[in-house]
Amino acid sequence: MKIKNGFVVREVGGESVVVPVGEMSKNFHGMINLNETGAFLWRFFSEDHSIDEGVAALLEEYDVDEAIARTDVEKFAETIEKNGFAE
Amino acid sequence: MMNVDAEKRKIEDVLKEKGVYIGPTVGVSMLPMLKNRRDTIVVKPKTERLKRLDVALYKRGESYILHRVLEAVDGGYIIRGDNCYVDENVPEEAVIGVLTEFFRKDKHILCTDKKYIRYAEKRIKTYKSRRFFVRMKRNVRAFGGKVLRKLRLRK
Repeated sequence: MKIKNGFVVREVGGESVVVPVGEMSKNFHGMINLNETGAFLWRFFSEDHSIDEGVAALLEEYDVDEAIARTDVEKFAETIEKNGFAE
Repeated sequence: MMNVDAEKRKIEDVLKEKGVYIGPTVGVSMLPMLKNRRDTIVVKPKTERLKRLDVALYKRGESYILHRVLEAVDGGYIIRGDNCYVDENVPEEAVIGVLTEFFRKDKHILCTDKKYIRYAEKRIKTYKSRRFFVRMKRNVRAFGGKVLRKLRLRK
């Protein structure tokens, strides 16, 4: 999975927000808020990676159980797909 | 983990609900500070009278405009975009927020930053000379166009 180009993650006041840029800002007018894990996964999937690679990356970055990591990555991927953010 | 609000919402509603608006820049009126659809602005609700150099977010009809305050006057402000050559009289009630920080490319700049304030001061101070050169350029272009048209007519 790869997130479409045209988004940037901004850290403001301890929160992560995704902001559309360029052509994308003409089409997407909503707001995307991420928590720490969400911001990590957003950056990770800004390049093409599989779900398994996402789980491995999350396990390497955070002290978390594999089952929880997999659920998080799958849930993240589902939201990305559902909102049309994936290429 | 991720909260997506895909609906287009009014900025004043976002400010009221979240206390901050973070979004892309649109337009060229604040160049060279903010580039169209590249940079990100962080706007907070207006809680007090704005002052000189503040960048106000205000509404003109249904449009949102982000321009710099030159002077606070009775009942409102004299405002101008950094890349504009016309002053605007904006009533107090039209101003809904103030720029507190922004991202220029990936550089995060606070509006309290000394270097930024120096830039804002300079932008206002050099206004007259910039306006002179812009007008001169426009006149030279118009004159050149006129000459070219006449030459073409002769042929």
